[in-house]
Amino acid sequence: MEAVKEAFAYFLHSGLLPGVLLILRAVTPVAALYVVWRCYTSFKKGQRRRDPLIVLWDEGSGARFPVLYWENSIGRSRSCDIVLPDPQVSRDHAVLMRRAEGWFICDTGSKAGVWVNGEKVEGRALVGAGDRITLGGVTLSLWNSDAAPPKRRRVFTGFSREAASPRKLLLAVTLVQFLMAIQASLNGGHFAPAQWLPFGVLLVLEWGFFAVSVGVLRHVSFELETVGFLLSGMGIQLLAATDLATVTTQLAALVLGVCVFAFLLWFMSDLDRVAKCRLWIGAGALLLFALNLVIGDERYGSKNWISLGPVSFQPSEFIKLAFIFVGTSTLDRLQTRKNITEFLIFTGACMGFLALLRDFGTALIFFACFLVIAFMRSGSVRTIALVLMAAALGVVLVLRFMPYVAERFLGWGHAWQHINDSMGFQQTRVLTYMASGGLLGMGLGNSSLIYIFAADSDLVFGLLCEEQGLFMGLVVLLAMGLFILYARSDVARSRSTFFSIASCAAAGMLLFQTCLNVFGSTDLLPLTGVTFPFFSAGGSSLVSCWGLLAFIKVSDERTYAARRAGRRRSKIPEMEDIRS
Amino acid sequence: MKTVGFRSIVLYILLAAFLLGAGYLAVELAIHGGDWAMQPYNGHLYDTAELGKITDRNGHVLAYTDDDGDRLYGESEAIRRALLHTVGDTRGYISTGVQHSLSDRLTGYNFITGLSDLPFGGIDRDVALTVDQDACAAAYGALEGRNGAALVYNYKTGEVLVKVSAPGFDPENEPEDLNDDPAYNGVYLDNTLSASFTPGSIFKLVTLTAAMEKWPDSWSQRAYACEGSMEIGGSEITCFDHTAHGTQTAAEALGNSCNVYFAQLANDIGGEALQAKAEAMGFNRSFSFDSIPTAESEIKLSGADANQLGWAGVGQHTVLVNPGHMLLLMGSIANGGEAVPPRLTKSAGLLPGLSGGEKLVTAAEAVQLKALMRSNVENYYGDWNFPAGLDVCAKTGTGEVGEEKGPNCWMVGFCDNAQYPYAFAVVVEDGPGGMAAAGPVVSAALSALVD
Repeated sequence: MEAVKEAFAYFLHSGLLPGVLLILRAVTPVAALYVVWRCYTSFKKGQRRRDPLIVLWDEGSGARFPVLYWENSIGRSRSCDIVLPDPQVSRDHAVLMRRAEGWFICDTGSKAGVWVNGEKVEGRALVGAGDRITLGGVTLSLWNSDAAPPKRRRVFTGFSREAASPRKLLLAVTLVQFLMAIQASLNGGHFAPAQWLPFGVLLVLEWGFFAVSVGVLRHVSFELETVGFLLSGMGIQLLAATDLATVTTQLAALVLGVCVFAFLLWFMSDLDRVAKCRLWIGAGALLLFALNLVIGDERYGSKNWISLGPVSFQPSEFIKLAFIFVGTSTLDRLQTRKNITEFLIFTGACMGFLALLRDFGTALIFFACFLVIAFMRSGSVRTIALVLMAAALGVVLVLRFMPYVAERFLGWGHAWQHINDSMGFQQTRVLTYMASGGLLGMGLGNSSLIYIFAADSDLVFGLLCEEQGLFMGLVVLLAMGLFILYARSDVARSRSTFFSIASCAAAGMLLFQTCLNVFGSTDLLPLTGVTFPFFSAGGSSLVSCWGLLAFIKVSDERTYAARRAGRRRSKIPEMEDIRS
Repeated sequence: MKTVGFRSIVLYILLAAFLLGAGYLAVELAIHGGDWAMQPYNGHLYDTAELGKITDRNGHVLAYTDDDGDRLYGESEAIRRALLHTVGDTRGYISTGVQHSLSDRLTGYNFITGLSDLPFGGIDRDVALTVDQDACAAAYGALEGRNGAALVYNYKTGEVLVKVSAPGFDPENEPEDLNDDPAYNGVYLDNTLSASFTPGSIFKLVTLTAAMEKWPDSWSQRAYACEGSMEIGGSEITCFDHTAHGTQTAAEALGNSCNVYFAQLANDIGGEALQAKAEAMGFNRSFSFDSIPTAESEIKLSGADANQLGWAGVGQHTVLVNPGHMLLLMGSIANGGEAVPPRLTKSAGLLPGLSGGEKLVTAAEAVQLKALMRSNVENYYGDWNFPAGLDVCAKTGTGEVGEEKGPNCWMVGFCDNAQYPYAFAVVVEDGPGGMAAAGPVVSAALSALVD
């Protein structure tokens, strides 16, 4: 035993240690890259094939319309999912959609109305196999699909044919965290056993959630959660390596974030419930903003904190989630209420509050998210152009009346001419220390950037690159970029436009925030002081990131499907694997 | 559903911008990482990445870091002061010093591992310079406390042997009043590379080369009369002490350094032609001195009247020259026209000495200028001023800079000697005269090199 101790002590002081740590730093991002990439390819491979769910048969012409989506617009307009070129059919006549109870037909403000088996439909009606649906001069009957599913072609299969098992992917995450824990505990040639604490907590949390989700609730996919754990865990270990004390908050926030994630999944499983709560969510968000304005604390120029006893949080982080709830919508509502006026007013109110709170970074994020939602809802380039012009006017006004905001723009792009003043101090430090780290980093816990203000929040990407290297930084950025592809992946296949829009909005929000943070701290954009998703110190931010992750998760069709019994699932009875 | 799904491609705009930005950042880091990391405020530079050793051409240590992590310099104060601007200071304020310009090599910085600790000390971080510490110290001593610059290099190989700038200080015992005492004004500036001075008569070499180009067959026969002064363009052009030199040819006028002759010559050449030739010889542009850019030598004759053109022809008016550029010009004349690029480190370049130099003068001009400059030393300055047998070719100059300050005293030239192919450029500020102030510096440096 003594001999082992002595050998260990010798190892810590020998020239061997830097070499071992260097190899660890080279292996860690490779393992992280494996997780990030394989999670995405496995996610893609697990998705359902594009076979029609049911078929609508036009009795008059004998035409068959395969019903491909969970929500289908029916009408004369070419943009409809099922186009009926009949003069009596309205442009957007009806929506046929799948809910837990079965298929519903909704009249979306048609002139001629919708009739099921001769009875006029008010609102929506449940339809089953053999039912006859009359829309203007067309009568369709609903049948199960017995067509053979077409072969799916893929150009690039991502190096591997099979999806990796969720257990294997989470194991790889644990490996990454294990490697980081070794690094942290050997930093500076001193053995620091306390660095294994965050690793232990993460281990329990991740595998516990995995057991509940996959084992108990029998959820099919776990890829997004795995990436979420990879990023959150890496952030926590990064912060732990320089200051173990801050990590308690982060770990608590991660637990809360995972709970919020699970709650949102449950909450959104019933879209009628969501529809009922929408107004309250919107009102609650504005109320929270108002509360923030009245009792909020001002920290570093922004009044965006509320303290309740020992707990303080940033309301705007939670309002992000509410913002998506208010903005997104199911297809039947989209077709009946085409304009986005309501949402525009809500957005205006949020922006107004954020301006009063002087939180311009968050305002920008809300605005980017608004653009994504507005475009997906309306498809109108003209509306977007008008909104952008109005926003440009707003920016001009802000710069005119709040000169300190303009100051940030003055130094933008010229950080190296402002090494020692506020216009370039932080940015030049980030660039210097990122460069010092090179591709493989200075080593976990060996940071000089940490002494610069906001190093663990606004500048945390610099901290990551300094300690773990640019390679790791790029792997993390890849993970952020892939959120767009997760959200976009078979976006029309999700169970509702509500989920499609929500997931795209959430992914857009995460990536836009990443852009503002990374490019702001490296002088490619003005420094706005927003957090880096999953990494920055700050509980509210971490919780809200997991909330956003839930929005991406719900757009995946499998989220509400239990583990499959068999391969064939083309008929309605076999689709009863849907959890209700 | 499909329409809404289709519209989500709007996200690809964001994704494309993001990937573009991330890629740009990574490329910028790969290109500029070395510069970005080498900032004086970088905490890692003092913690983990200690600078490597710097030695002179004979292996004498010019700078090293001791076991306590302190940066220590050469063996004597004279050497430390003489090499201050070449080696650089500890705080990195002298940006042209090797400790700053080669800090990435000295710290072992590379894009893969950055500044991090590598096993067993990592890669070789030591740098061997081409300078000779004793010759530098000799040249610095010969400046006798005056400000100025001295450069000597091997015009065949490009190795810089002497590079001295004054004022300087001892980097191991940095004076506390460095920023307050006027004697230390411009102490962080390397006068050899980063400053330009009024040239005075050494510019006559340029005027004469312009004449060679204009009248290739008859330039040497052109004669002008000198009565000690002459009215050109409404004002006087005078010779030193109003000495009347009589009617002279080019070689005599250069030897006498006759202002009246060259003022008339410049007017006959014309401002445009003189400007063009000067630019062909390297004026109004920067040279790379082992990756450090030199300050420009300046000439601007457009709009100059006859009197101003006359004064410009003798290196006054608004003409300025950089010592590094003069060294290259001398190297070019000595080497048959081709100026071998100077280098400060022994291992710089894959094929040292083979990288092509550029021609600042033609081969024919080089031969003619060499003969004239050799004649200067043989017949006017005296070979006894220099170590024996070096066949020194040179031109002195006194650049007047105003009433309250003495002139810039110059000596530029080279040894026409196969064993010692050395070119030199020396300027001494506020001195008594070209030969008197700059001559001893050249002599001291050459003596130390020849020993």
